[in-house]
Amino acid sequence: MAKKRSTSKKKIFFLFVLIGLVIGTVTVAYLDSVVRDRFEGKRWKLPARVYARPLDIYPGRKLTPSQMIAELALLGYRETPQPREPGSFHLRPRALELVTRPFRFGDGLEESRSLKIMFADGRVQALQNNSTQSPLQLVRIEPALIGGIYPGKNEDRVLVKLDEVPQHVMDALIAVEDRRFYSHHGLDPRGIARAIFATASGKSVQGGSTLTQQLVKNFFLTPERTIRRKLTEMVMALLVELHYSKDEILETYINEVYLGQDGNRAIHGFGLASSYYFDKPLTYLGLSETALLVGMLKGPSYYSPRNKPQRALQRRNLVLDLMEKEGFITEQQLGAAKKSPLGVIDRPPRGTSPYPAFLTLVHRQLQRDYRDEDLRSEGLQVFTTLDPQVQLSAEHALSNRLELIEKSRKKPAGSLQGAVLVTSAQNAEVQAVVGDRDPRYKGFNRALDARRPIGSLIKPVVYLTALQDRKKYTLATKLDDSPFVYRQAGAEDWEPGNYDHEFHEQVLLRDGLIHSYNVSTARLGLDVGVSKVMVNLRRLGVERALPEFAASLLGANALSPQEVTQVYQTLASGGFRTPLRAIREVLTADGEPLQRYPLNVEQVIDPASLYLLTVAMQDVVREGTASSLEHYLPAGLDIAGKTGTTDDFRDSWFAGISGDRLAVVWIGRDDNEPTGLTGASGAMTVWGKMMASLNPEPLILPEPDDIQRVYIDKATGLRSAQGCSGAIELPFISGTAPEEAVPCGRGSVKKSFRSWFERIFGQ
Amino acid sequence: MKWIPFLTFSAVLLLLASCAPLQPVVQEPTPSSGNSAVIALLGTAHNQSSSGEFEAAGASLERALRIEPRNPHLWQELARIRFNQGQYREAENMAAKSNTLAAGDRYLRAENWRIIGQARTRLADYQGAQAAFERAEKEK
Repeated sequence: MAKKRSTSKKKIFFLFVLIGLVIGTVTVAYLDSVVRDRFEGKRWKLPARVYARPLDIYPGRKLTPSQMIAELALLGYRETPQPREPGSFHLRPRALELVTRPFRFGDGLEESRSLKIMFADGRVQALQNNSTQSPLQLVRIEPALIGGIYPGKNEDRVLVKLDEVPQHVMDALIAVEDRRFYSHHGLDPRGIARAIFATASGKSVQGGSTLTQQLVKNFFLTPERTIRRKLTEMVMALLVELHYSKDEILETYINEVYLGQDGNRAIHGFGLASSYYFDKPLTYLGLSETALLVGMLKGPSYYSPRNKPQRALQRRNLVLDLMEKEGFITEQQLGAAKKSPLGVIDRPPRGTSPYPAFLTLVHRQLQRDYRDEDLRSEGLQVFTTLDPQVQLSAEHALSNRLELIEKSRKKPAGSLQGAVLVTSAQNAEVQAVVGDRDPRYKGFNRALDARRPIGSLIKPVVYLTALQDRKKYTLATKLDDSPFVYRQAGAEDWEPGNYDHEFHEQVLLRDGLIHSYNVSTARLGLDVGVSKVMVNLRRLGVERALPEFAASLLGANALSPQEVTQVYQTLASGGFRTPLRAIREVLTADGEPLQRYPLNVEQVIDPASLYLLTVAMQDVVREGTASSLEHYLPAGLDIAGKTGTTDDFRDSWFAGISGDRLAVVWIGRDDNEPTGLTGASGAMTVWGKMMASLNPEPLILPEPDDIQRVYIDKATGLRSAQGCSGAIELPFISGTAPEEAVPCGRGSVKKSFRSWFERIFGQ
Repeated sequence: MKWIPFLTFSAVLLLLASCAPLQPVVQEPTPSSGNSAVIALLGTAHNQSSSGEFEAAGASLERALRIEPRNPHLWQELARIRFNQGQYREAENMAAKSNTLAAGDRYLRAENWRIIGQARTRLADYQGAQAAFERAEKEK
């Protein structure tokens, strides 16, 4: 009996062990699937990374030391007395020494180089290899990271790959949080022993967690501190280590940890934290900034550098001490880092990219070729055309001018809005996009999406269409600017008036454009044909079908600043249409070229007619509605431009072309109320202020062969001669210049014998 | 109908003329650029082009064009690249662009018209090609 009892006891014992094993196995299997699910869900989505244009440096390039410093600041380069590390520089009088970071471009690796750049007269005078002192022709600095296209709807994540993470982050994490990270298997027995001892002595229930355990803790939604939860975490930590490499775990940790609270938005991951506290990409963080973030892990609100700067500073310095103790940094590094201020920006930026308006344009262009899902998950590298210097100039000019205009005209602060686009004149690369007076605001993008009547910005298209009819129209053709009523069956009478509320009888064709006369332009446009003008508008680059009516001739159709830019792009590049380009190429996450967006052009306007138009547009600035641009820019630049003002001053436009750039500016109100601004008093001042800071090239037009220059009498449009009063030199397509001449001198009405002869016999 | 054999003959000639890949002209009367960075990029583009890497050559030329956007030599080189890529319409447009910037450089313009002629031949626009080759002769 006794034996039997003991066998049944044994049986029951084994049964329990078996049940325990089954339950254990099922639990572990369940935890395993949870771990894998959560881990992969966190991991395998890499946003597309978007870069600005890389800066090409070569002798002769327009570049000042301060512009260069601004560029390096964007890239997080540090000033040191003796630059040796990649990403450091030193400014001397008239020269800059720097060591570039290596970078893989689509056409290969650009090695790290030690450089010396000499400056003179606002240009790069010479460029040399600082180690060999040999001259260099061309060097490309790595492009600044300007944003990402992030997974899911929540764009408040800045996922980073381990190779973008500064080594200091890893070092600090290991020094402070988990010294044996690379040797343990998810749990650290010594740490646990320490934690148990601490718990038993009643000090704390926390501590002893490895990085892996901390990561696992983040997989749960609720913070719970029970023995059972602790045990589960330990099992899960072991499972994570079983499935994934140390690097994968570290990368996920860096992207996952909690680092602060912004209202109801939790700041997760070092990438977002870097943007939230320092307003720059994680890659560019220095040692002291890194130590601050790692120090905050212990308690992001307790050690908040914005609310408790002193406490945060002490904690940061403790982290630095630990890093030195572990041998990650030298004593000198420690000393220097401890001396540096916290470096945290006062107010967190409103979004994760400093250029949300440009990024939207990039995203839209990418969506034509890629699935949105791939953009948000494949880690593509996108190389764009954004020029940060131009972008900053555009942003400053817009916000400063709007503030000044509101103050001087006693308008409510913040009532005006605006948009700016800047492109390279010949290549159609978009260098800057501003869609709001607060450039960080990631909301309604007026540059791309605000469609507004374009007013007189349509006139160059009307005059171009006329000038293409060579036999009928030249710059000196006389137009009728007397009162005019256009009657059409089934429509209201159309009675255009001039901006100055006067009529000008007979004006030369060029004057209609230069002084933006509505009446003569309307007559001209109706004579040429509304539909012909609209066909040209499409040919120049508008891709939508637009309603056509007589008022279209004076700009009643609404276009976005982007569409206007496309139209003027074709004018700026000599009649060759190129779609605006914001992307140069796309590489895979591994740096393999995926797609290039090559430059192509299509000739849509004949060079001679366009030349005549552009000369007249230069006269708009020289003597017409845009003549006050001289308050901003020297006259010798020969800028070609056009102002635009719509009914009751609701929209103020300016489009202008320099030798190197085209820029379009719009100012108006979101509620479409009048602003009281003309194109010249509003948008043009933004244009002028922006361009003045960009040191533009003069616009020198290459003259087509079939052009001849003839002196014309300004008043009559008849042939005159050099030195005669009222004579101006105008270009004509060969054989189209007027032959009838006025005698040199004022007030004479005698005609030449030839014209008399012609009139007698009729032409 | 006497002109039919003549037309056929000239069409054949045109085809023959356009069969060879476009090579950069060796002797040029004017230097392509006074900027050493542009010269260096042109050299890179030539090397890439001669080893058949037309896309890379195009990228190098675009980089040069960012430095000198109004340099007609660069636009002409890009026209050759597009031609060698089989993009004849693009080649024609690039050469036309070069022409508008090459005021006064008859040598360069003649070469542009030849490229246009060869591109049009490939596009089976024989009349247009003939006109372009005639323009090339006139420029000389």
